[in-house]
Amino acid sequence: MARSTLFASKPSVTPGTLFGYASMVVIAAIVLVPIAFILLTSLKERPDIYTEPVQWIPDPFTAENYATVIDDVPFIRYFLNSLLITTVLTVVQVVLGIITAFALVFLHYPGRRIVFLFVIASLMVPNQVTVISNYALVAELSWRNTFAGIIIPLAGVAFGTFLMRNHFASLPREIVESAHLDGTGPFRLLFRILLPMSWPTVVAFTLITIVTEWNQYLWPFLMADTASVAPLPVGLTLLQNNEGSTNWGPVMAGTILTMIPILIVFLILQKQMIKGLTAGAVKG
Amino acid sequence: MMTRLSARRLMTGAATLSIAALALTACAGTGGAPTSEAADTGSAEKIVFWSNHPGSSKDIEEEIIAEWNEENPDTPVELVDAGANYEEVAQKFNASLAGGDLPDVVVASDVNWFNFAMNDNFAEMGPLWESQDVESDDLVDTLRDDYEFNDEHWAMPYARSTNLMYVNDQIFEEAGLPAEGFETWQDFAEAAPALKEVTGDDPVLVIPDGSNYLDWYFQGMIWTFGGAYSEDWTATFTQPESIEAGEFLQEMVQEGYIEISNDAVNTFGVGSAGALLESTGSLGGLEETAAMDFTTVYLPGPTPGAATGGAGLAIPSGISEERQANAVRFIDFLTNTDNTVKFSQATGYMPVRKSALEHPDEVAFLEENPNAMTAIEQLNENTQPQDAARVLVQGGGARIGGALDEITTGGADVTEVFTRLEEETQEIIDRDIKPKLDQQ
Amino acid sequence: MAVLLLAPNLILLVVFTYRPLLDNIRLSFTNWNISSPTAQYIGFDNYVEWAGRPDSWKILGITLVFTVATVAGSMVIGLVMALVLDQNLRGRGLVRSLVFAPYVISGAAIGVAFQFVFDPRFGMIQDLLARVGLDSPNFYQDPDWALFMVTSTYIWKNVGYVFVIYLAALQGRRIELDEAAQIDGTGPFRHFFRIVLPQLRPTTFFLSVTVLLSSVQVFDIINVMTRGGPMGNGTTTMVYQIYQETFVNSRAGYGATVATIMFVILLVITVIQVRFQDQKD
Repeated sequence: MARSTLFASKPSVTPGTLFGYASMVVIAAIVLVPIAFILLTSLKERPDIYTEPVQWIPDPFTAENYATVIDDVPFIRYFLNSLLITTVLTVVQVVLGIITAFALVFLHYPGRRIVFLFVIASLMVPNQVTVISNYALVAELSWRNTFAGIIIPLAGVAFGTFLMRNHFASLPREIVESAHLDGTGPFRLLFRILLPMSWPTVVAFTLITIVTEWNQYLWPFLMADTASVAPLPVGLTLLQNNEGSTNWGPVMAGTILTMIPILIVFLILQKQMIKGLTAGAVKG
Repeated sequence: MMTRLSARRLMTGAATLSIAALALTACAGTGGAPTSEAADTGSAEKIVFWSNHPGSSKDIEEEIIAEWNEENPDTPVELVDAGANYEEVAQKFNASLAGGDLPDVVVASDVNWFNFAMNDNFAEMGPLWESQDVESDDLVDTLRDDYEFNDEHWAMPYARSTNLMYVNDQIFEEAGLPAEGFETWQDFAEAAPALKEVTGDDPVLVIPDGSNYLDWYFQGMIWTFGGAYSEDWTATFTQPESIEAGEFLQEMVQEGYIEISNDAVNTFGVGSAGALLESTGSLGGLEETAAMDFTTVYLPGPTPGAATGGAGLAIPSGISEERQANAVRFIDFLTNTDNTVKFSQATGYMPVRKSALEHPDEVAFLEENPNAMTAIEQLNENTQPQDAARVLVQGGGARIGGALDEITTGGADVTEVFTRLEEETQEIIDRDIKPKLDQQ
Repeated sequence: MAVLLLAPNLILLVVFTYRPLLDNIRLSFTNWNISSPTAQYIGFDNYVEWAGRPDSWKILGITLVFTVATVAGSMVIGLVMALVLDQNLRGRGLVRSLVFAPYVISGAAIGVAFQFVFDPRFGMIQDLLARVGLDSPNFYQDPDWALFMVTSTYIWKNVGYVFVIYLAALQGRRIELDEAAQIDGTGPFRHFFRIVLPQLRPTTFFLSVTVLLSSVQVFDIINVMTRGGPMGNGTTTMVYQIYQETFVNSRAGYGATVATIMFVILLVITVIQVRFQDQKD
């Protein structure tokens, strides 16, 4: 189970690993400071948020902002909506992304490359351009303020198709060719041979999709009229004041509460990246 | 793995695909905007209210709605979270104009309502007031007439604010000045050196920058110099009085008396400025967070020296007459005397009814909160509706704000910047607004 | 078979992305005011106006600077982070989550959090510079520094994305080559440039395309931190301009024109990228 690394292959103390730890600390520090500020702000009383000089450590610490988020906003309701929307979209997009990529790499038909370009080019259309037109279509279908209206227009997957296609194309040809010689069917090829070699990429695809969908704002905002379908980012805007000064404590608390579930998912999934590799290596 | 692609083939491919997609679009029907007026499919059995809850007012809105629903079980109100700010409400409303599902009542800000009115998206209020017996005379005149255009009213005042000067009591006292504000901006300039001695490196007065509505605060200042952003539909940035006002602001910034800040409220709140220009909407927040005592005063004159702002409530023209009638009855209820008192006390916005000012609760409240009283008194004595170039010309606020950034923090020549601003503004008026006015 | 696999995704993309895009192209030839039920066809007037307006070129320049800086910045930093955290170090799971965390945070929260980094009065940078006797640049009011501010903030946020994709690629690499290199006793830097980087080339290509396309479309951070200012358009990129023209200035026809121009530019760049990648294969 020796893991390959750039600098050393064993977790013993070498100049390489020392350098590695030092880099890790630097990285953590750069990333951490603004996040720490969000966290610390969420634990401050309102008058302590802006002070001169800046006061880093809350004095006193307070959990009141978190209570405000849970009490003032139907947080659980929004959370469940977000969970549903994100789960459905992630499952649909990962499946669609994999099968589209599979068809783009391993099947033969005319116009394959054009289809690929067609998929990539859809990444070039900003959502400010699509929303008005899509609103009209969805309203015509009477899907506004429904989960279908939020989910279906977001379900097409270009990013993941591109990622998986790129990955499939980089796999060694011999594996696929030997599979063909063995008379393996396309589904067997996909599930038994290709996917086991692809877990790290599939995991990355899944993670990015979860984050993207979890943070969707503009479209759900236009579609949802009530808390019955609105996801968290839409719900939490209630905490911001429109005119005058916002109390940032609850906004930061809301941000932390929104972020934590995703980070937990990340912690779990990032371990799968490694497992996937070893499993794939054995098969390969 | 990937076979070679030539750029030519890719381009041909792209063209082929576009044509295919075009064909598909044709089959899929229009679905896009602009379409013919979206058919009114909404039910008259409920009233859909799109609000961004200005001033964190969701609780009070819900409370008032609950009362309404009890009295009017046949036409209950459904409150919709329609955005984090006025821009988002307008965006959502625009989407519904193109696509359907119009609300019955929608919040429209001082800079948004006109484009909707000009395009006949809002119902005229006059006939509705008449048919539903709304006492429009009881609305505060300035606030009501802010929404007047073509001799007709297009919205009703709701969450209305004005700009105020907030004064740091201690700094003014140390400088030997009463916390009363200034008669004129010249008085300010004269008092500034004494205040500057107290504030040191900090500014005497801090004003939000162009990305944070400097154009709104400067509106009053330009009037006091005898200038204006525009008169009727003519931009007037280059008339001598307007330029003088711009040069005054520039000089005050260069002297270090006025600071243009991305975060004016908090700069003042931590005690790092002698005074602040801000909306009445910031009063509640500052009372909770400010590290020191402060007093609100009028903006310097001569009168008028301050602009009104905030938002009103409008009714879409594309819904049935029955829905419009319900909607205006609800707005009337939402802004009736009792509810105005409740709403303005909870949010810090100004009461929009004359009768509300005589309400015993309000009288008692204002006695206890002289800082809230300032805005109301100033409204009658020191404000007028804003110039068309800021509130009626699309994107006017951001355009003027950017130009004011240039002359203040950028130190650019005022005449040059204002000349360009005048040309741009006039071009938009002539191209986008005048043809529509001529049609009406 | 292929049709069955492709159809669901392609139909979704056609209906919800390409149909609006074509609608957008059609509208770019009109003077549509977003609130108006009607619009007149005005030929290429909007395009002529775009080409003749000085702000178009300025905004194009800002978009270019912002995009090049974020693509280069987030890819280099993201790769370094992935290389470090690919190693077998204790605590790397947590640090990995940490690197990913900024990618998860909403634009609104980032805007406020970074005020405490950049603000000339409340910010950390101001605090650090003051300790060595320097004045902080005014990040919010000097257009160049404002652009620097939104660019570095976006890089900070986006590094998590690059990191995850590179990490996945590193984890999925074929190990035999490393082992061969170790037997040869190649030094770490030589090893990186000779063996690791070439293996990562498809990933680098993928990231160069997707990071470019996503940074061109940044909206939240700009909207929250500067609203496109200072000086009116100091940090206005093309997508922000599209939003501003369409929804704030109500000139949806002109906004559609800018969007169409942007689409064409991106298409050309992407085709070049794809072609460049193919030549190397």
